[in-house]
Amino acid sequence: MTRPASDASAGGSPAAAVGAPRVLVVVAESGILHSVRQWAPELEARIEFAPDLPHAARQLSQGGWDAVVCALGDRPEDDLAWWVDAVRGVPGTPRLIAFVDRPSMGLAIRAEQLGVPDLLPLPMRRDDLANAIKRARAVEAEAPMPLPEVGVVPDRQYALVGRSPEMLEVYKLIARVAPSTATVLIQGESGTGKEVVARAIHEQGPKANGPFVAVNCAAIPENLLESELFGHEKGAFTGAVTRKPGRFELARAGTLFLDEIADMSLALQAKILRAVQEREIERVGGTETLPVEVRLIAATNRDLKEAIAQNRFREDLYYRLAVVPIRLPRLAERGEDLLLLTAYFARQFAERYRKQILSISDRALELLRGHPWVGNVRELRNVVERAVIVATGTTIQAEHLPDELRAAEATLPEAGTRGLLTLAEVEARHIARVLAHTNGQIGAAAEILGIHRNTLTRKMKEYGL
Amino acid sequence: MNSPLPPVRVEQALRLLPELEVLLPLRSLILSVSRPEEQAQWSSHGPYLTVGKRSVEPAELRQRAAEAAEQVKEHVGALYAAYVEALECQQRGEAGAAVNALRQAGAREEQAGRVEQARAWFETAQALAEGLQDRRPEIEVLLALGALDETLGRHAEAARRYQRALALAEAEFHQAGAIAACLGLGDVALGTGQWTGARAWFSRGMRLAEASGDLAASGQLHHRLATLARRTGDLAPAGEHLRQARECLEPLGEASAMARVLNTQGQVDAGLGREAAAVAAYREALAWARRGERDAGLEAIIRLNLAELHLAAGRLLEAEEEARRAEQVAIAHGLTSRLVQSYLLMGRMRGRQRDETGFVFFEQALQLCQTLERSPALAAQVYQDYGLFRTALGSRDEARAYLERAREIFESLGDTLEVEKVREELQQVSA
Repeated sequence: MTRPASDASAGGSPAAAVGAPRVLVVVAESGILHSVRQWAPELEARIEFAPDLPHAARQLSQGGWDAVVCALGDRPEDDLAWWVDAVRGVPGTPRLIAFVDRPSMGLAIRAEQLGVPDLLPLPMRRDDLANAIKRARAVEAEAPMPLPEVGVVPDRQYALVGRSPEMLEVYKLIARVAPSTATVLIQGESGTGKEVVARAIHEQGPKANGPFVAVNCAAIPENLLESELFGHEKGAFTGAVTRKPGRFELARAGTLFLDEIADMSLALQAKILRAVQEREIERVGGTETLPVEVRLIAATNRDLKEAIAQNRFREDLYYRLAVVPIRLPRLAERGEDLLLLTAYFARQFAERYRKQILSISDRALELLRGHPWVGNVRELRNVVERAVIVATGTTIQAEHLPDELRAAEATLPEAGTRGLLTLAEVEARHIARVLAHTNGQIGAAAEILGIHRNTLTRKMKEYGL
Repeated sequence: MNSPLPPVRVEQALRLLPELEVLLPLRSLILSVSRPEEQAQWSSHGPYLTVGKRSVEPAELRQRAAEAAEQVKEHVGALYAAYVEALECQQRGEAGAAVNALRQAGAREEQAGRVEQARAWFETAQALAEGLQDRRPEIEVLLALGALDETLGRHAEAARRYQRALALAEAEFHQAGAIAACLGLGDVALGTGQWTGARAWFSRGMRLAEASGDLAASGQLHHRLATLARRTGDLAPAGEHLRQARECLEPLGEASAMARVLNTQGQVDAGLGREAAAVAAYREALAWARRGERDAGLEAIIRLNLAELHLAAGRLLEAEEEARRAEQVAIAHGLTSRLVQSYLLMGRMRGRQRDETGFVFFEQALQLCQTLERSPALAAQVYQDYGLFRTALGSRDEARAYLERAREIFESLGDTLEVEKVREELQQVSA
C-alpha cells in the first residue's frame, strides 16, 4: 500500500533557494516520493509535493510554478490530455514533465501532438528529471527584439498587412478590380484573409457607401441557408416567426460577400445562379419579385474546378462568379510578412487587453518561423492573441506560445545516451508533430514533409499513428 | 477492394433517418462518432461549427452501429430479465424484491436517457409497493419518481412524491429516506423559487442528518443550502456552507460530491468578483471529477461555468476554448442537454460580439431539443436565449416571437419563476 505524500516542500540545494525553478511533483507513490526527496538538493530547483490531483490543482492555482512533474496512471493517454488541460489554465503555464510506466510509441506520439516534450519512463531516474527541469529553465536565455512598425491604421479590424511580392500582386489586383462592380472570386486556403480582401474591394469600390454583408455558407444549416439569403415571409416554414429580409436585400446598394460558396447544395447553387443572371429574387414563401442591386464577391478554400469535375459545383455558376479571380498566398509563402503580421496583431491585442507589448524574443520568433501555419493568418492571429493575453511583461516569449509550437523545443540535446532517440523514433515524432500542426490532414502533412501521401499513410500505419 | 466512402455531414446523415423511437440510439450514435472536418479548425466557418456541420465516416458508422445494436440488445435483455425476476419474486411471495427488480429496471432506463420508460417501470413498482406491509420499497420508488419528475421540470408532481415518501419514512423511522425526501422537497422549492420553503426543507434534512451522524448527507445539505444562499444573493453564508460541506465530504473522499461543491464554490467566487479564486475552484472541481468515476455531465457543466466566467471577464478566446471542450465532452458522451447548453453559451458569446451568424447555435440547439432531448424546459430556455440574442442584434419582432414561445412553455410547466423573468424581458423588448 502506498503512503500519500505530504504537501511539504523538499527544498533543494542552497543555490536553489533564489531564482531556481519552482517545481510541483504530484505523486502518491511512496517510492518515487522518497527518491525525489533524496535528489532534491542536486536538482537545483525548489521542489514541492502534492499527493493527488485535487491538491495539485489547489497548489497550482496559486501560480508561480515553472514545471509540474506527474506520473501517468492506467489510462496514460487520458491522463496526459487531462494534465495538459489542467496545466494550460495555470498562471504562467508551467512545463509538464510526465512519467509513465513503459511509454509506448503511440503515447510518445500523442504527447508530441499535445505539445508535451518531456514524456519519460518510470522508474524515475535522477538524470531524466534533472534534464527535464533544466529544459524548463531555458526561457531565461531569450533576447528581446523590437517589433517593427507596420504602417496601417491600427484601430481597423480589417487591414491588409504585408509587403511580400505575393501580397503586392494581390494589392495590384484589388486596385484594378475595385473601381468596377465586376463579380470577384477569391480563392485561397483557410485563414489567408479572403474576407479582408473582400472588404478592401468593397471599401475602395463604387458601392463603398452601401453595406457590406457577409454570409458564411458553410456555417449556416443547409435547410436555413436559402431563407437567410433570400429572406422569407411569415409562416413560410416552421420557425418563420416573422417576415424577414434576406442578405441579398440587406446588401442592397452595397456588397454581398458569399464566403465558402463551395459548401452550398446544388439546388441552392441553381437559385444563386438565377439571382446572378436575372438580377432578381423572391423571398421563401413569397410571390413578390425583388431586384438584386448588389456587388457580389464569392470566396472558397476549395478547388472549384475539382468540385465541378465531381459534379459538386455548377460550372455555369463558376464562370458567373469567377469574372475576376484572385488567389491569395499561404502565409508560408509570404516570408517576412510573418513578422509584420505578428507586430500588427500584437499591437491590436495589446490595445484590446490594455497591455504594452513592444518586442518579441528571438526564440519565440524562431518558433513562429518554424511553424507550418496550416491555418495561415487566422492561426497566427490566434497564437498572437493568446500570447498577448498570457504575457506578463512587454516581450512575447516562447513560453507564451501554445503547446503545439513549444513542442518544437522538444529535442534539445541531452547529456548521456538515454535521452537520445533512434532514427525511427525521431521520424515518428516528427511525423506526429507535423500531423498535429495540420490537424490530422494527411495531404497537407505529406506536402510539408515532402513525401508522397501514400508513403505518409504507410509510415503512419507503421508507427501506429 | 472498395475504397472507403467519403465522410458525410451530420445534418445530411440525419436527414435520411426517420424520426422513430427505436432509432433514437442510432441518432445519438451519429452525433457521438462525428468529427470536425479536417479543414474546419481554421476555416471561416470554424467559429460557427456545430454538431450538424461535423462529419461521420460511413465505414466507422457501420462498425459502431453494430456495437450500438448489441448494446440495445443487452439493454432490452436486462429489462426482460428484470421483469421475469420481478414475476418470480412475486410468485415466491417476495413482493419487496419484486418492487426492487422493477425499480432497478426503471433506473436502467433512466440511465439510458429513456425517462418516460423509466417512469412506467417506477409506476408499476409503486403500484405493487403500495400493497406491502413493509413501506421501505415504496419509499425508494417514490424517491426515484420524485427525482425523475424534478429532472423533467414537473415540480408539482415531484413535490407530491417526496411528500408521500417523507410521511412514510417518518412513520417507518427510516432516517435515510426522510433525509432524501427533505433534500428532494428542498430541491423542488429551490427549482420554483420558493426560497423560504427550500431553506425550511434543507434545514429539516440537516437536523435529521446531524442526529444520525450521516456526514455524506450533511455535506450534501450544506451544499444545497449554499446553492440556495447563492441564488438569493447571500454570498457570504453560501461560502460558509460550502466550507462546511467540504469539511464533511473531503474526509469521505466523495469525489463527485466534492466536485459539485467546488463547482458551486466557483460560482460563489465569481459572484463575489473573485475571478482568480473562481478559476481555481473550477480547476479543482475538474480535478475531483477526474478522481472519481467519470461523470461526463458534471465535467461538462464545470467547463461551461468556467467558460461563462471567462465570457463575463471579456476573455472570449478562453471562453470559446472552454465551451468547445464542454461541447466535445457532451458529444462524445451523448449528453444532449449539455450540448444544448454549450450552444446557448456560444450563441450568447456571439450575441455579445453582435455577430449575426451566431444564430446558428440557437438553431442547432432547437433542433437537438426537437429530435433528441425532448425536454420542454430546455426548449423554453433555448427560445428565451434566442430571444435575448435577437434583442441584442436589434431584431425586436423576432425577439418578441421567441420570448413569447418561451413564456408559453414555461407557463405550461408551471414554472412561475421563469415566466416572470421572461415577462420582464418581453416588457423590455416592447419598451
